[in-house]
Amino acid sequence: MDIIQQLINGLSVGSVYALIAVGYSLVYSVLLFSNFAHGGFLVIGGYICYFALRSWGMNIYMASFAALIGAGLSAVLVERVAYRPIRERTPITLYLLIVSMGISIVIENIFVVTIGGRFRALPPVIPMDPVNLFGFATTSAFDLLSLLTAVVFLIGLQLFLVKTKWGLAIRAASYNLKTAGLMGVNVNRLIGIVFFVAGLLAAVGGIFLSARYTLYPQLGSTITTKAFVAAVIGGLGSLPGAVIGSLILGLAEMLTAGFISSQFRDLVVFAILILTLIMRPTGLFGKSVGEKV
Amino acid sequence: MQGYVAGIITLLAINCIAALGVSLFTGFTGIFTLGHAGYMAIGAYTAAILTFKYSVHFIPAIICGGLLAMIVAYLIGIPTLKLVGDYYTIASLGLGEAIRLIIENWESVTRGARGFPGIAPYTSLPVALVFLIIMAVAMFFIVNSSYGRAFKACRDDYVAASLLGFNTAHYRVLSLAVSGFYCGVSGALLAGFMSFVQPVMFDMAKSTELVSVVVFGGLGSISGSLIGATILTLVTELFRPISQYRMLIYGLVLVFVMVFRPEGIMGTNELTLNYIKNIFSAKKKASEFDRRTTDDCAS
Repeated sequence: MDIIQQLINGLSVGSVYALIAVGYSLVYSVLLFSNFAHGGFLVIGGYICYFALRSWGMNIYMASFAALIGAGLSAVLVERVAYRPIRERTPITLYLLIVSMGISIVIENIFVVTIGGRFRALPPVIPMDPVNLFGFATTSAFDLLSLLTAVVFLIGLQLFLVKTKWGLAIRAASYNLKTAGLMGVNVNRLIGIVFFVAGLLAAVGGIFLSARYTLYPQLGSTITTKAFVAAVIGGLGSLPGAVIGSLILGLAEMLTAGFISSQFRDLVVFAILILTLIMRPTGLFGKSVGEKV
Repeated sequence: MQGYVAGIITLLAINCIAALGVSLFTGFTGIFTLGHAGYMAIGAYTAAILTFKYSVHFIPAIICGGLLAMIVAYLIGIPTLKLVGDYYTIASLGLGEAIRLIIENWESVTRGARGFPGIAPYTSLPVALVFLIIMAVAMFFIVNSSYGRAFKACRDDYVAASLLGFNTAHYRVLSLAVSGFYCGVSGALLAGFMSFVQPVMFDMAKSTELVSVVVFGGLGSISGSLIGATILTLVTELFRPISQYRMLIYGLVLVFVMVFRPEGIMGTNELTLNYIKNIFSAKKKASEFDRRTTDDCAS
């Protein structure tokens, strides 16, 4: 029953990617640019959690809470300091993209300079013991837990978007930000909230990723590439698309690593990306944008 | 010390050649790419293998590197350049990484992730400069030719250009192929400069660097890209003594320039005599204007 085990692993990795991809897609749906600094928020969350556990002696719940809030606030701060001046000056999103690359370099290297680039392992706070699934397969408690947490947060996001007033505003803004502004939505606050939510979700992913692998400043950029790929496979700006894309990616990674060779893992991921785009140029669930003349 | 300065200038010339290529594709054709390090890798490995295993003279080897990168770019471009906007950007990221991973895993030819040592150090300062000058002049001619105008038309309005009868898909692929050639040559020169190549040298960070250099210098300005490449190469080189802070400073410079001058250093202007004259005369006019208004107020 090896295959079931690999499937569960794949879903668990995929669901963590989904947390990151959804945040990225959320920002994309409102501001229409690829936020390369997204991985930075993940790393910030991871480090806050690490230091909260190691140095300040918090328990995992308090530490995670601090990490989520910290990453969310840093996302808001980045938006306020770097994106807003450009957003107000020009409608060209390319400049935002370049700045976000700069920010991602800055965040990465702030950690390299201040606390060093070495690999750090989170203290063993998340249970890792093997769990037997009704005699079918054995998997680790960690995989199940990360799957469960990701599902809870994704449902939470969905409820936020569907049930609350700000969620309605965000959905309106994803159709047309300007019109949403004309309808009386405070656009700047809305974008702040979007970044806060994106940073928070990235931090959840960051904590699980730094527990699964290790924590280091470059963790963000390697993982965000995958989250971007997942979001593009699913269709940019589409949240269900981002989730499905991430699950496909997680499964493909784990199945390739399990049955072919872990060297080909990333190659398979990129092959899936290119093939999907050649067949469906706007991803699986993307809006096909017809250009107006 | 002299060797050190010569080394920096050589590296500068190599980076400028790559920047020229990306400038054509991103600046003049308006397609954002995150995979051009892959074409550099193709050029670098081709030149390395040709000179090392088959003892080909370095000049044909460099040109072969460029041509192979160009062919690969052309073949990749046909299916993928149908994608628009950020879809192509992420696809190019995937393509660039895929090229790197293939090189990394094809150990019998490329020696895998450990790298390819022992390449003859053929890239001296004069070689790099001659290549840079020839290719920069060629780029000026390309941009001002009918092809260049077609590229710019694709950038400014994709739909209008195709309505005017431009085969926009063809021009986009062509632009990618030419920029692939430039990056391939730059990679081949880099291989000769370092006498060692490794797949990690051509990862996503390198691609990001290439494109940020071009946006930093000014999209749609050749001299801008050259200035951008010069400034960012010097920033990383001059701060080598405090190497820890080097990338931090690099990131900060990028963020500050983009926040305060989003159109890049040169905008779409070229650094010509007229442009310099205009800057000075604009300043003079402004100061004359100030004087006149203060005089008026005084009287």
